[in-house]
Amino acid sequence: MVETAIIGRKARSPSQLAQERFLRRPWVRPSLWLLATLALLGIYAPALVGDAALVWKDATGWHFPVLGELFNAWAFSKQHDVLFNLLALALPFLALGWVFLSRWSRVRRLVIFGALVIAGWVALCWLPIGTTVDGDAQTFWRRKAQSEHTIAHWRELDAQQQAPFAIFPLIPHDFDATFAGQAFKTVGSLNPDTGSRFWLGTDSAGRDVLSLILYGIRISLTVGLVATGLSMLIGLIIGGISGYFGGWVDLVLQRVVEVMMCFPTFILIVIVVAMLDRNIFVIMTVIGLTGWAGTARLVRGEFLAQSVRDYVAAAEALGLPRWRIMFRHILPNTLTPLIISATFGVAGAVGSESGLSFIGLGDPTAPSWGVLMEQGRQNIRYGWLIWSPGLAVFAFIIVLNVIGSGLREALDPRQADG
Amino acid sequence: MLAYVLRRLLLMVPTFIGILLITFFVMRLRSTTFSEEAQATAGKGGEGVASSGDRKAGGASKRYQNLIDRFRRTGNDLPAVLNTHGFLASDDVLADLRAAAPDSPLKPSARSEREKELWLAGRFAVLPLAEVLRDDALAPLHGPASQALALCAHRTLDPPDFKRLPASEVNRLQARNQVLAQSVIGFRVESATPAVLAKDGSAAQAAIPAHYVTTDSALRAAAKRQALLAIADDPANQDEYGHSSGRAWRALLIDTGFMDFLRRLCTGDLYSETQQRGVFALIGERWVVTFWLNLLSILIAWSGSIALGIRSARRAGSLEDRATTGSLFFLWSLPSFFVGALFLHYLCTDRDAANKALFPASGLSSPNSLWMSTPLYLADLAWHAFLPLVVLSYGSFTSLSRYLRGNLLDQFNADYARTARAKGCSEDRVVYRHVLRNSSLTMITLGSGLLADLFGGALIVEIIFSIPGLGLLLFEGAKQMDIPLVMGSTVISVGLLLISILVADLLYAAVDPRIRSRYG
Repeated sequence: MVETAIIGRKARSPSQLAQERFLRRPWVRPSLWLLATLALLGIYAPALVGDAALVWKDATGWHFPVLGELFNAWAFSKQHDVLFNLLALALPFLALGWVFLSRWSRVRRLVIFGALVIAGWVALCWLPIGTTVDGDAQTFWRRKAQSEHTIAHWRELDAQQQAPFAIFPLIPHDFDATFAGQAFKTVGSLNPDTGSRFWLGTDSAGRDVLSLILYGIRISLTVGLVATGLSMLIGLIIGGISGYFGGWVDLVLQRVVEVMMCFPTFILIVIVVAMLDRNIFVIMTVIGLTGWAGTARLVRGEFLAQSVRDYVAAAEALGLPRWRIMFRHILPNTLTPLIISATFGVAGAVGSESGLSFIGLGDPTAPSWGVLMEQGRQNIRYGWLIWSPGLAVFAFIIVLNVIGSGLREALDPRQADG
Repeated sequence: MLAYVLRRLLLMVPTFIGILLITFFVMRLRSTTFSEEAQATAGKGGEGVASSGDRKAGGASKRYQNLIDRFRRTGNDLPAVLNTHGFLASDDVLADLRAAAPDSPLKPSARSEREKELWLAGRFAVLPLAEVLRDDALAPLHGPASQALALCAHRTLDPPDFKRLPASEVNRLQARNQVLAQSVIGFRVESATPAVLAKDGSAAQAAIPAHYVTTDSALRAAAKRQALLAIADDPANQDEYGHSSGRAWRALLIDTGFMDFLRRLCTGDLYSETQQRGVFALIGERWVVTFWLNLLSILIAWSGSIALGIRSARRAGSLEDRATTGSLFFLWSLPSFFVGALFLHYLCTDRDAANKALFPASGLSSPNSLWMSTPLYLADLAWHAFLPLVVLSYGSFTSLSRYLRGNLLDQFNADYARTARAKGCSEDRVVYRHVLRNSSLTMITLGSGLLADLFGGALIVEIIFSIPGLGLLLFEGAKQMDIPLVMGSTVISVGLLLISILVADLLYAAVDPRIRSRYG
């Protein structure tokens, strides 16, 4: 049986087998696609939402104002948008390079891409920001005034029969643009200022819900990744030390972990955020700082099991420093449960942030889904303010949960239930 | 059994103290907004500079009272953890005063920080400040020094104090506070730094807190100074203000805010500023609601998921089992606040005059519930509590029933189950008498692990449906920065949670014969 299996099919590594098992799980493939779509929508939000034209051709030539928009300080509300804009520019290069250079080894590809991407970022950042002379480069990238090359500008020219060729984003206004007299417009109503539609209605300030939700993907991705990264890091350090050293260190750290386990985390987050100022970065830090107890316990168990293995004894006999044994030798063997718990952690962090915003402790300046839902709660008659952000949160969480449980069952068949 | 209970209780003590410590440190995170307060009063108190005579003095006294209120809420009576104020000497005080003076090179925000630090030093700063006030050479600093002295020497009287202290003492303290409030020496801005004012008047105006920008005559200033010095030197006050090295060390190690907080907690001495009542009286009214909400929801989740889990396990692999699995996964990913908001939108809001809402949107009883008969009242309660309970408990179904299903499936093939079948037990008997009893152990452990989430969930549910429980109290307190209230209600919530975990542990011990036999 075993031999025929080996002869009949190409031999595959355990990771390849796990990958196959993972992709075979029901709903995993659609979830991956949905997650990728959400991430791409978030990364490329400036191309979908924004008042700068994508392409604008008039007598002075071709213009791509949206590119300059990516690095204009007034074009985004939060600093992490710069990161997403950089990602938006780097992603095609990365993908292209990955396809073309697939013959090279993975490490070599990573190094080369790292260098290329950094060089590309520097070049791309320099062009729109650095060119201060009123030369060709600047008009190519950049608009002279904020009102230039917008849909309003185009409509004005159109009225004079001088409309140039222009392509606009699907939603041709800024994501946080407030339209006077357009508060609580229902789903699909017409926006008289731009001639486009509010596909998901507007909120209490007359902002377009769809564009807020698209930019909200960025917030949710950042919150999920930063908060989970932080809690993983803390849990890894505390759990690792606790499991590797054992003895009284373990005893003390376990009490600390127990305290964090017993504390109702959400209540703690609510108190801390109420005490500090309501900034989205503060919120994600707090979520990260309070959610590490489960990870610590998990890592401790793994380290405890690994630290009696022969390879650890060998490393100790070689006289390697302790941190090296812990983080270079033991850690790679404990990554599997960490990855699984990180996937659920991202979902949990997004849920926490939305819940926090929902009860009115969110960052009112961030286009977060929870803040929109809070408006829906305050103005309970307007169902679209509940449905659309709520479905976004739900989709994000369920996709991550599906991927997480798929990973758990693929990587660790013993733990899988049912 | 008793040994086991004792052991669990003892293990709970460090956890509880740890949770108290975390709560305390979180409360300390809040930066006292004295500078904001000073700026706010500076903005409001423009008339204090412009007007003259007694109205000015009245305004100054009111602003002083505002500051004292602010002070108390932000913890004048809770000195910092590791309190080093016992070692303050007049040199330190002088350095702070110089740094906070309008002509110091620091930025205005840094200046008000230094001043705030001095104000927070509390009773230990009184004697060093009196030294400064006594020194005629430091006349330009007498204004800020008197301000700091008056704030540090102030002893705020809580309602419990009136009960504890004898009437004569209360009267003395009140009289002293009154003298302190009226003895802040106003100093002339012109004489301090005319250059700064001339250059950019507005900035300097904001930098100098308006409380002492008044124009006292020399005679009045001297009288106020004498009054302050008299209070600092009064032998009756030496117990409070005087310090020896032993007392300084005690302040550093023992007499920190944490100990003070613990003392207040144990004696029930916490007083809510925003609600104008004792914290524990408020909690006493509210905790029952949260308790019942959580208890009912855990019972619902438990019984429901046991039924579901057994059904799925016995029909493992069938269409029904797969449908249950899928819908439970769906429910698990559904955020409770989303469901709550949808309920509010569709079930609790009147569409129009003809279509009334099916369920009430807030509270736990109708306005006329006091006049209802008991069964009607209970029905009313159930009508109000139905949606909150649904929102609170549906999330716990998934993990519990999934776990039970997996566990049952494992146990079905265990040796003892096969033995039971072999000796002719019916399948029902195998499931309910043999397998389920074994699985219930893990169910209890899992249930106590879910309790913490449940308490967090109860907070959201109470906020959505405006149920007057502990969570809503905590949330309101946190939003209004009512620190004693937040501390009290957090401690009580966590205490309830710990007790529930303890109960779950005891249940575990009661069900598990191994523990029973080990602990006799």
